[in-house]
Amino acid sequence: MTLPHREADVTLPKPARKDPHVDLEKLDAAADLMAINMGPQHPSTHGVMRIKLWLDGEMIVKAVPYCGYLHRGVEKLCERLTVVQLTPIVDKHDYVSPMTNEQALNIAFERMLGLEVPRRARYMRTIIAEIQRIASHLLWLGTFTLDIGGTIGGGASLMMYTFREREAILDVFEMLTGARFHYNTHTVGGQRHDVPVGWPAAVKKMIDAVDAHMPEYEQQCYGNDVLVLRTKGVGVIDRELALELGLSGPNLRASGVDLDLRRDEPFSAYDEIKVNVAVATDGDVYARFDVRMREMHESIRIVRELIDSIPEGPICSQKPVKVPFAVKLPAGRQFYTAIETPRGELGTYVIGGGAEKGAAPYRLKFRPPSLHAMSALPYALVGHTVPDVVAILGSLDPILGEVDR
Amino acid sequence: MAVDESERNFEHPLYHYWENMPGGGIGMTSLDRLLMHSARHSLWFFPMATSCCAIEFMTAAASRVDMDQVGTIIRPTPRHCDVMVVAGTITVKMAPRVKKLWDQMPEPKWGIAMGSCAICGDFYRDIYSVVPGVDTIIPIDVYIPGCPPNADQVMVGLQRLQEKIAAQLAGKTIDKDPRPPNMIYPAIGTHGDARQTEATATGQLEASRNLGYGGQEHRVPVAPPKPPAGDAT
Amino acid sequence: MMSPLPAPVRAALAARWPEVFPAEGDLDPNGPLVPADSHYDLAALLKEHGYLLYVTVVATHFPTPEGDTFEVATVLRNPSTGKAFWWRCKLGADPVIATLFPLFAGADWQEREQFDLVGVRFAGHPDLRRLMLPEDWEGHPLRKSYAIDTPHAPWR
Ligand code: SF4
Repeated sequence: MTLPHREADVTLPKPARKDPHVDLEKLDAAADLMAINMGPQHPSTHGVMRIKLWLDGEMIVKAVPYCGYLHRGVEKLCERLTVVQLTPIVDKHDYVSPMTNEQALNIAFERMLGLEVPRRARYMRTIIAEIQRIASHLLWLGTFTLDIGGTIGGGASLMMYTFREREAILDVFEMLTGARFHYNTHTVGGQRHDVPVGWPAAVKKMIDAVDAHMPEYEQQCYGNDVLVLRTKGVGVIDRELALELGLSGPNLRASGVDLDLRRDEPFSAYDEIKVNVAVATDGDVYARFDVRMREMHESIRIVRELIDSIPEGPICSQKPVKVPFAVKLPAGRQFYTAIETPRGELGTYVIGGGAEKGAAPYRLKFRPPSLHAMSALPYALVGHTVPDVVAILGSLDPILGEVDR
Repeated sequence: MAVDESERNFEHPLYHYWENMPGGGIGMTSLDRLLMHSARHSLWFFPMATSCCAIEFMTAAASRVDMDQVGTIIRPTPRHCDVMVVAGTITVKMAPRVKKLWDQMPEPKWGIAMGSCAICGDFYRDIYSVVPGVDTIIPIDVYIPGCPPNADQVMVGLQRLQEKIAAQLAGKTIDKDPRPPNMIYPAIGTHGDARQTEATATGQLEASRNLGYGGQEHRVPVAPPKPPAGDAT
Repeated sequence: MMSPLPAPVRAALAARWPEVFPAEGDLDPNGPLVPADSHYDLAALLKEHGYLLYVTVVATHFPTPEGDTFEVATVLRNPSTGKAFWWRCKLGADPVIATLFPLFAGADWQEREQFDLVGVRFAGHPDLRRLMLPEDWEGHPLRKSYAIDTPHAPWR
């Protein structure tokens, strides 16, 4: 398939690193800076966050983001719940892809305790994660194009289309788990819900529908001058800065770093399949957009490859959990591990041996990819105008539930 | 009783203009009925969308469920809107903003609490930074329980609100909807409730008014850590 | 997961901190315990050896009968191999540790978060403010001595 893809007409010199803590007094005194405030209730901030911008004319000279408007203190809550009770809690972090949150947490406990996961459960996890990636990227695409208002036919039209496909995906998940949104289907050692009759066929039907509509989206985005002009060369994050900031996932790959934990630290069934990693080098909004679009194709391919070969067997290596104290973490053990979610490296740092006789973690720290993405804003916004703020913010795709926890 | 529910004004603002116009007294009642009728069928929503429930609220507005079919429009500014939908957890840092945005909405206005977090704080209600229910801050007319409520449940809640408006239209007095069962009563009392003290209500109002633009100092010197507060958990 | 360090890195570390990183054998699976004053130097050395991706920093409060202690764990990742490495530093009742901001720009927000929630201070940080909680908040919630349901008038 050939895409109506346009090469860069604009080439910008590589910008020097901006100082995010620049002292306002040191800036040009005659410039007469104006400060404006975006948020915390702003329609295009994907949740509740606030950015304070200082403008010289139309150009941003300093940006200070504030977060924490959704700080729900989950890490404190986790210290008094047991390992088995935690899965439904972490669903609510990255609420655009709840499945991968559960997966990250349970893989962390499994790796820490050295538990085996049956092959059937690993296949199911991989399929679920890839479908979730498509759903998450679809929602991102809808809101991103809504924010920059540049798709053919106005801003909201593409969002309506992507939500149509996302609904189909939620139906597939509802068939599997009975819930539309917060699933609670992963558990330590495997899965809670087995594949229902007819599920693979439903998944294939859904995947075919998404695949059939992908060229539509591509045509509406790549073939649209407004979108391309508003995104090329905007919000550049170079390779070194991206690494230093700890960006991950599509944001990091758009800056030219070929790192994907699905391939480099394989979890679930990713060690049995080949993952083609989408990388771009420009590091601008367009590159991040492009990487996500290509990732959707790759996810479609992986689901198609795996859905017919789900092996038979048990779905959980542990006995079905009756009491919440069934799994205990060794006291004093400290462990970090991470998986690749649609937003990047979602890590979990666990210290074992907490309350409830060791069934609760002593300390649980999540490494949210969105928080790192947001910390790029003071660097990426400087030098651009206010309308670019929503484009840059949308392209970084932070989810505030995960930023603030 | 600190905050009086009866101080809420459900009369349409145009009503007063009409009343003061020469000869305006004629047909006033029917005009009011007309205005309330149109308000009922063209509710403009202000999404106070903070977390996961907001995504389901977007779904309700998007292609499959399509709230637009009953004449709702989602507007991102409080000054255009009739209904505030609180979708998601409200934290201590966000609460004064919610109060302020509610106060900025013109009368008549209604509040919907969507999801258990907005109703009672859900499983976060014990946590130091979470407000145990948004009805401790603003009056709420309709509760939509669920975590999150399905998009079609949102439509059910919308119908419930329209019923209440219709009852107002017919001149009936309507009782306040109670919180759904099992959603624990907060220590500080709900808005308009006898348990909410004067100090709480005025404190909330003050805090929402003092959200000055320059309120947050950009650079604060680091104080040495304070001695730990409270007992051991 | 803690994966074995590549041989050149291991040799460089062993030359510098022989008691923490012996030339042979496995490292502590919980993360090697490094003296707090070597924190910055270790991060700089690892960065030179390809650990370019800043992953996270975790501060933890351990109350003991003798007084409070803290641990700060830092995780870095090598983007060319994809492998992560972390180490820990022990701190006393007045927890102060060097910031990694000059090496890794991402340390800015991560360290602010740990300062906010746990109360570990990072010496040399350019902008150490609270990140999550309002700036007039009292106490550090992730300390074990902080009650989870601490009221906060007039909101809860
Ligand atoms: S009720 Fe559930 S879905 Fe809604 S905001 Fe709370 S946790 Fe999220």
